[in-house]
Amino acid sequence: MGIEVRSVYKRFGAFTAVNGVSVDIKDGEFFVMLGPSGCGKTTTLRMIAGLELPSDGQIKINGRDVTYEEPRHRDIAMAFQDYGLYPHLSVFQNIEFPLKVRKIAEGERRKKVHATAEKLGIAEYLNRKPGQISGGQRQRVSLARALVRNPRVFLMDEPLSNLDAKLRATMRTEIKKLVTSLGITTVYVTHDQIEAMSMADRIAVMRKGDMVQVATPLEIYDRPRTEFVADFIGSPPMNLFPAHFDRKKGIAASVQPFADSLSGEVADKASSFADAQGQFFVGVRPEHLLIVGDGAEGAASASVDFVEPLGQTTNVYVDCGGHKFIVVTDRTEARVGDVVGVLVAPGKSRLVAPN
Amino acid sequence: MSSSITRRGSILSGIGYYALALMATAFFAFPIVWMTLSSLKSDADISAYPPRWVFAPTLESYRKLFTELNAMDALINSAFIVCLATLFAMIAGTLAAYGLARFDVKNKNFIAFEVLSIRMLPPMVSVIPLFIIAKQLGIFDTPWLLIAVYTLNGLPFVVWVMRVFIQEIPQSIEEAALIDGCSRFECFWRVTLPLLLPGLAATMVIIFMFAWNEFLLASILTSSEARTLPVIAASSIKAKAISWGLGSAAGVLMSLPIVVLVLLMQKYLVRGLTLGAVKG
Repeated sequence: MGIEVRSVYKRFGAFTAVNGVSVDIKDGEFFVMLGPSGCGKTTTLRMIAGLELPSDGQIKINGRDVTYEEPRHRDIAMAFQDYGLYPHLSVFQNIEFPLKVRKIAEGERRKKVHATAEKLGIAEYLNRKPGQISGGQRQRVSLARALVRNPRVFLMDEPLSNLDAKLRATMRTEIKKLVTSLGITTVYVTHDQIEAMSMADRIAVMRKGDMVQVATPLEIYDRPRTEFVADFIGSPPMNLFPAHFDRKKGIAASVQPFADSLSGEVADKASSFADAQGQFFVGVRPEHLLIVGDGAEGAASASVDFVEPLGQTTNVYVDCGGHKFIVVTDRTEARVGDVVGVLVAPGKSRLVAPN
Repeated sequence: MSSSITRRGSILSGIGYYALALMATAFFAFPIVWMTLSSLKSDADISAYPPRWVFAPTLESYRKLFTELNAMDALINSAFIVCLATLFAMIAGTLAAYGLARFDVKNKNFIAFEVLSIRMLPPMVSVIPLFIIAKQLGIFDTPWLLIAVYTLNGLPFVVWVMRVFIQEIPQSIEEAALIDGCSRFECFWRVTLPLLLPGLAATMVIIFMFAWNEFLLASILTSSEARTLPVIAASSIKAKAISWGLGSAAGVLMSLPIVVLVLLMQKYLVRGLTLGAVKG
């Protein structure tokens, strides 16, 4: 069941915000839509919520077609970036609001509000107005308001981006635990790759209205399909080496040893990643590159441009015949100006399609 | 040492501010005080020179106002006309403003401008057409004509001001209500309206005052039955003499409802006149 999105489009005049997105979100899944601003992730979420109507396509929630249903008939809850609390109501009344609108008896309302407030650690603020509590507490109130009526689907639109970094990290784990324990299908929108990686069961990376890749966080990290995904996920991002595929000549890459490191099985798929001109990328994560002595077998020879020790790891910026890339290693003896060999860890080079 | 100097300085500047505030208050309050005093003076006291500050107060002017000029009828007319016109303008205007602020209406800006254009027309230009229309509809010299005119007069102001107040309310608050189970109308009623109260109060006081004090249209579009207070007050000015006592009494009578209204709405007015009060 869960949520089915079928070839959904959203156009604002000549601008296409969402370009035929299709995805199945499973029951109880924590699904994250990740992408830079303007990629269509929030618009997609708002269409699932019913706050925007699709220009075309179909949306089903738990098997029911809700494409043109009003939000209140979808059995969803939502948390907003700016919390969307009712400023004229107390915290208690805010949490109570969805129950009151649904005409649930007062005694039961009070019981549920107290239980939910307890769970989210805001029981002591119930009498305050939203203006009198901190940002983190406001977000808890908005979560409580969303969860108080046990919705089937929980939508979250960048709920943590107005919080400071430390609070964000704790709220991240808390939300994930809470939602998982309740088994609610969750769609979470963010531009923060750490949030996406740490919380998601599956991530959809979006770009210019398209879902470029939908997969588990590790799959996305290990096998980014396109240049955009490779560049967006991971810090520092994946090293991409322009390559060219030709049926007769095979693979030619800007740093040839890395192309040669592709296993035969992987190399066979090159044609499916290459564009019409045969262009694609060989991608290697910085931590999958090893610094060895110059001239080692299968290694590319490169000069060290810059060394950035970070304590736990060290970023080494190297230059191989004009192609600059990054190697992440443990502590290293390499110094600026050294000529070193760079080797790909076995089986770690990937094929990446151009955008 | 230096701290005592600055403390003395701040006391001095505090006194300065109070003095300035007192002067400003006196400047604005003087005409009102003078009018109120005049309304309680006898004709002889009013025309005395130098002005008399101590005199035997009399309600003679008020008596004349209610007996000779039928002020009671005019007061009832004014109250009925202005209250209904204000109510209609507030309801229609706020709903229109909500539509313009929140929905994807085609040619939205043109419609908003069109509404505003009613106010650009000099009232005098509309008098003759209004007179003819009223005659044909048989509503000349009835309250309904002025109710219609004042509603239309207040409408553009309500639409434009309330639109800004509504836009000030973050969309996400209304969206949260829609998701929490409200229909559009419930969302407006339970969430938007309570947040709009300061704006509504400020707007209402202003258009109430417009209509309450309106003279030109009232004097031309009524003859005897539907006469309002400003028309009555003006009749204290005769061709040969001005009846100061009567005029002052009418002035006091006209000002009272506004003063009461503003005092009642004071709490909202201050918040309403400083926009952005709704953000949590």
